[in-house]
Amino acid sequence: MIWQPLMISLKVASAATALIFIIGGGLAVWLARSSFRGQSVVEALIHLPLVLPPSVVGYYLLVVLGQSGPLAHWLGWNALFTWPAAVIAATIVGLPLMFQASRAAIANVDPTFEQAARTLGSSELAVLWRITLPLSRRGIIAGLVLGGTRALGEFGATLMVAGNLPGRTQTLPLAIYDSVLSRQPELTQYLVLLMTLMGFFSLWLVRRVEPGRRLSGAGAAPAAE
Amino acid sequence: MSEGEGRRLSLDIRRQLSDFHLDVKLEVGGEILVLYGGSGAGKTSTLNAVAGLLTPDSGEIRLDDEILFRRDSGPAAGRSDRRNLPPRKRGVGYVFQDYALFPHLTAEENVAFSLWPDRNGRTRALELLERMSLTHLAARFPHQLSGGQQQRVAIARALASRPRILLLDEPFSALDLPLRERLQQDLRQLRRELDLVALYVTHNLDDAVAVGDRVAVLQNGRVLQVGPVDQVFRHPVDRHVAEIMGLRNLFHARVTSADFECLHLDWQGLAIEAIAPPEAAESTVTFYIHPEEVKVIYPDAPLADDLSHNLVAGRVVSHQHHVDHGHDLSVRLTNDQLVEVRFPDSAYTELSLESGEGIQLCLRRQGLTILHPPAEAKQG
Repeated sequence: MIWQPLMISLKVASAATALIFIIGGGLAVWLARSSFRGQSVVEALIHLPLVLPPSVVGYYLLVVLGQSGPLAHWLGWNALFTWPAAVIAATIVGLPLMFQASRAAIANVDPTFEQAARTLGSSELAVLWRITLPLSRRGIIAGLVLGGTRALGEFGATLMVAGNLPGRTQTLPLAIYDSVLSRQPELTQYLVLLMTLMGFFSLWLVRRVEPGRRLSGAGAAPAAE
Repeated sequence: MSEGEGRRLSLDIRRQLSDFHLDVKLEVGGEILVLYGGSGAGKTSTLNAVAGLLTPDSGEIRLDDEILFRRDSGPAAGRSDRRNLPPRKRGVGYVFQDYALFPHLTAEENVAFSLWPDRNGRTRALELLERMSLTHLAARFPHQLSGGQQQRVAIARALASRPRILLLDEPFSALDLPLRERLQQDLRQLRRELDLVALYVTHNLDDAVAVGDRVAVLQNGRVLQVGPVDQVFRHPVDRHVAEIMGLRNLFHARVTSADFECLHLDWQGLAIEAIAPPEAAESTVTFYIHPEEVKVIYPDAPLADDLSHNLVAGRVVSHQHHVDHGHDLSVRLTNDQLVEVRFPDSAYTELSLESGEGIQLCLRRQGLTILHPPAEAKQG
């Protein structure tokens, strides 16, 4: 009874992590270097899932994914109570963590490096790929690990849009909830321990990759000749 | 790349910046043109405009027949003949003020950066590193290099893609003097070898004198005067230029003989020596000595080794004391030349420095700079 929710959790969390990387990274690249009217509104919207109760996020997702929502309307796809719905919920709550960390890391890259790369023949895409991303790598990885872990632990919104269907949408956090309700203390303890270890491991990982002084800029003092 | 054929960079640009209006018109040939002026004069903005990192409001930048940038002012200007090449297509090598070496790449990877993804990039990078005597440091990261080494990597990187224009922003400001002198010579030689148009930004007069073929004096975004270094020194167009250049201690002398490290000069009847490269051996030369390089000889103290040459005598003409930099002295030498001397508060305070007082001076050989003859600037 451990393996099924674990596999579903890993499937949902990996898919969500991939989405978090692409969407959160893209938003961070876009917003770190721009300034336009309404930018703070856009950023507040991205951060909102951090502060809203899961039920509120879940409600919005129900509206968007449900039978009368745009997805069903235009694509004819009713995502509710399928595992992709769990992926979407997990992505939404993990996204702000990824966005915040990578946006800060990218904004922290000295623009002179990017200017230098331009004079050395790089297109904007090459500047991003060869300079900006490598120099903000640590922040981006830290954000991705945090966001992915948050996605792994997502509970409330997932319950509302994906349900709690064993073998289909029941992830580890939902399985814990179930095991408590059905009085299986031993199973509960196993699952809780498993989640705690995974959370602990990811925090350890974040600490390992967190931006150090060495790669964050030109601040290193030159050695003596 | 043929030497002397006369590459020509012309720029005539205007741009409103936050604290001044940039309005620069310059013609640069196969030479090092020094952009000289204080901070906020518009030197770096000018470099950035040439590199394509700063877009002028209007004007034109062209290299020979190729237009790098053009935008006419006024509403009547047509859009069709507008042009603004992105930095990557301008053929510019840029040595940034703090070098801007990529911290995540080794010296070799930095130099090869512009050659990516060419497979031969590595060979070319190693060639350049060898030219800069840095082969043994190819695998080091920038933070493992000294300031002078970083500087040379930065120059190698800027040259890797064979640019036509080399831009240098205060490249030697962080380096100590002996190293700086060596790099100044290296730079002049490289420029000649590669037939580059070079713009060199500095606010350091010694740098300008040692490196420049010509100098453009900038203030508040405008070019006040352009010309051979020695001409701008001698004939500043107005008081502003004279003040900015801190115009002092520039003299003519005749070369009597030259040996391998030393030029022997006849300076209006006084025999003096200068340490100078053999290429400087013209029949007459212009030399410059910074007022701090003229040392007052204290009668009772034993002479330091480096003060055993170029001893001259004269009489004090004037003496001023400034709180921030010590004493300024004007001395009329026995050959009737007027020399400016500057020394800090800590020294010589017991000397009597009244006008008319006799005084012994030493023109430190190491501090005596022979100016480059303006010949190279004549072409075109």
